[in-house]
Amino acid sequence: MIRPVLFALLLTGSAVAQVSHEEIAKGAGENWLTYAGTYSGWRYSPLQQINAANVRNVVPKWVYHVPGARGLQSSPIVYQGVLYVTAPNSIYAVDGRTGRLIWRYADPRAKANGANRGAAIWQDKVYFTTTDNYLVALNRHTGALIFNKQYADVAKGTTSTSAPVIAKGKVIVGSSGGDGGMRGFLMALSADTGEELWKTYTIPAKGEKGSETWGDLIDWGGGATWLSGTYDPELNTLYWTTGNPWPDYNGSVRPGDNLYSCSLLALDLDTGKMKWYFQFTPHDTHDWDAQSWPVLLDTEIAGKPRKAVLHANRNGFFYALDRVTGEFLRATPLIDKVTWAKGIDAKGRPIELPNIEPSAEGRWICPSVKGATNWMGQSYNPGTGLLYVLTLEQCGMYFRSSQQPQPMKNFSGGGATEEGGQVILRALNPKTGLRVWEYPMTGLGRMWTGTVSTAGGIIFSGDDDGNVLALDAKNGKHLWHFNVGEMLTASPVVYSIDGKQYVAIASASAVFSFGLFEPAESIASPVIEIKKK
Amino acid sequence: MRVFAATPFAAALFALPVLAQHGMYLSDSKNPAIGNPEAIAAGTKLFMGSCAGCHGPDGGGGARGPNLVRRSLWHPLSDENIFSVIRNGVADMPATKLPDDQTWNLVAFIHSLTGPASTNPVPGDPAAGKAIYWGAKAGCANCHSIRGQGGSMGPDLSNIGGSRPLAVIRESVVEPAKDLYYLGNEAATVELKNGQKLEGVAKNRSNYSLQLVDTKGALHLIQMRDVKKLTISDTTPMPTDFAKRLSRTELRDLLAYLAKQDIRSKESAQ
Repeated sequence: MIRPVLFALLLTGSAVAQVSHEEIAKGAGENWLTYAGTYSGWRYSPLQQINAANVRNVVPKWVYHVPGARGLQSSPIVYQGVLYVTAPNSIYAVDGRTGRLIWRYADPRAKANGANRGAAIWQDKVYFTTTDNYLVALNRHTGALIFNKQYADVAKGTTSTSAPVIAKGKVIVGSSGGDGGMRGFLMALSADTGEELWKTYTIPAKGEKGSETWGDLIDWGGGATWLSGTYDPELNTLYWTTGNPWPDYNGSVRPGDNLYSCSLLALDLDTGKMKWYFQFTPHDTHDWDAQSWPVLLDTEIAGKPRKAVLHANRNGFFYALDRVTGEFLRATPLIDKVTWAKGIDAKGRPIELPNIEPSAEGRWICPSVKGATNWMGQSYNPGTGLLYVLTLEQCGMYFRSSQQPQPMKNFSGGGATEEGGQVILRALNPKTGLRVWEYPMTGLGRMWTGTVSTAGGIIFSGDDDGNVLALDAKNGKHLWHFNVGEMLTASPVVYSIDGKQYVAIASASAVFSFGLFEPAESIASPVIEIKKK
Repeated sequence: MRVFAATPFAAALFALPVLAQHGMYLSDSKNPAIGNPEAIAAGTKLFMGSCAGCHGPDGGGGARGPNLVRRSLWHPLSDENIFSVIRNGVADMPATKLPDDQTWNLVAFIHSLTGPASTNPVPGDPAAGKAIYWGAKAGCANCHSIRGQGGSMGPDLSNIGGSRPLAVIRESVVEPAKDLYYLGNEAATVELKNGQKLEGVAKNRSNYSLQLVDTKGALHLIQMRDVKKLTISDTTPMPTDFAKRLSRTELRDLLAYLAKQDIRSKESAQ
């Protein structure tokens, strides 16, 4: 009883800092406070200590091996020099200067499997979701549980993989499981209590508008929201993409466009009400979820200034829409080989070629089931005016099963294989939709690394063989690489602490952090007094 | 000399990963014997007859068999693994010829000793224990938090029942200074070379860095090269008199309340 009083008498330091909405809205800097670094989805850092001239002096600063991790997909959140890294059903707070573990929280009894792509931060709490749909809020200093609240039922086919996005105290969580039959949704939960504020389904209920685009399987239609979306504070609008309709490869049992699968939804942050939607791939039969996330950018398109939203789609096209109205502006090929559609018409609908549906014998289609791009983080650099997107030139076979669809039995109406292929990092001009340069990679098309770009004129990314790399953002010239010795399956982030810039990335099993070389210095032991009780 | 005196202590600190107290147990078993009072009673008889000679009557270990309760902290076994060790034996421990149901009764008893307290029947009144926990007499909440309420100097107890056997919880309440329970929670004062002085709990410490949670609950990441002097206690900041401060009933009820603290439990702790 005496000790707390003693502590209280010896109070030092200032009030504990709290992460505010304004701080997140400001975008990345020393900190990295939301999944894509900025609400607009830029994965851009204004830090420039590491630049195109000195990046060759970058060396690893530390490695933290996440216990038992395989195929980490987490993009760290960074605040005041602490990295918050997730693995499925666990989160680790790591000192950003030394890589030492500060605390961890694990919930090994969660009742589902799957990846986890990251955490979120708000005030003095850090948030992540468990595979079985608990929102977990923890004290960011100690990892102590503040609350955990289940927001969706794993028994209805829904799991959770994405990093929450927090805007104005609302924690936006998505839904996964669309390949096994479920009804996709997006939810806003209170950051203070975890209470539900709104829930918007991505697939209409029977009888609702849009339900005429489905058959009887509408209740299990998919349209999962398995990647974090973006947010425009000025329009108070969330931009979220939706996944494939279910069953993935058998379209005959779901006649129609299957709204709002494979779409971009614009939702009001306060109410969850849909302002508009745009469907990229009506009646998809190739598992071309509309992930990755929508990038928000004010730019000139076709000679007119626009509040645009850009989206590089798994179906092989790169889209630009007006983000106020949802009007389709333009689509250009993202990859060289697209064999299912001739192009996109003036209204934004694909001009499909014949014989593209999966069949019992198999149908050879480009792009492959992995898509022309996927959830790898894109980045937009205002310095170069370019958008950097990881693309995959790959084709594959698509099969259809005539088996009666059964939800939640791991049944997707068929299957797909992919062969060969090449990962190419491409720089796109948002004004024209055209490529400016590209960086082809050698490998088996297995990487899932995204990008981050900086005011130092660099892109950090990973290649298809386990190398973290730095490219010149202007021209794609290779500047630096480092072999982490295993596949890269996550996107890098940039942060700064004590005036030193770092770039951190999760590999399959560890978190690496890099910075400019400094000679080692000898550390003298301080005076340590052990007090006997 | 002072530096040398500190070395063995620092070495002991390296040995333990200092983590928030969550999620130690491997899996929830599906066998109906687990947590079933009748099965546990039947298993107790079997254990006293055949196992206690080596492992001790409370599983606390003997001359020939290891401490089963403590072992679960550093090498937790699933119920299925315990079953297979009983059935097949291990090292000097002989195999058994018990039928499946009796073996499961034995597993249920061992689970009741070594499994998370929240998965086992626990004596006492958790409601009365709750009042003790949050009241002034025990004063637990001064330093420990449960679901966001309470102090942040001591470990979070939101999942203590979901991650620790009852015997271990009891031991850490009654004998908090025993063994290494306090490591990672030592009261510490840090004088930095820039003159700043910090007071709190040293959560994690090496020759090169120190993590300190101050009295306001704020985390400080300190580089040892910036430290002029570190004063650190050689024992726990937790009071060591709970066996005297609380009556037997009060202690039992407090443990019953702690046993219920589980992050997977639906009901709120407060």
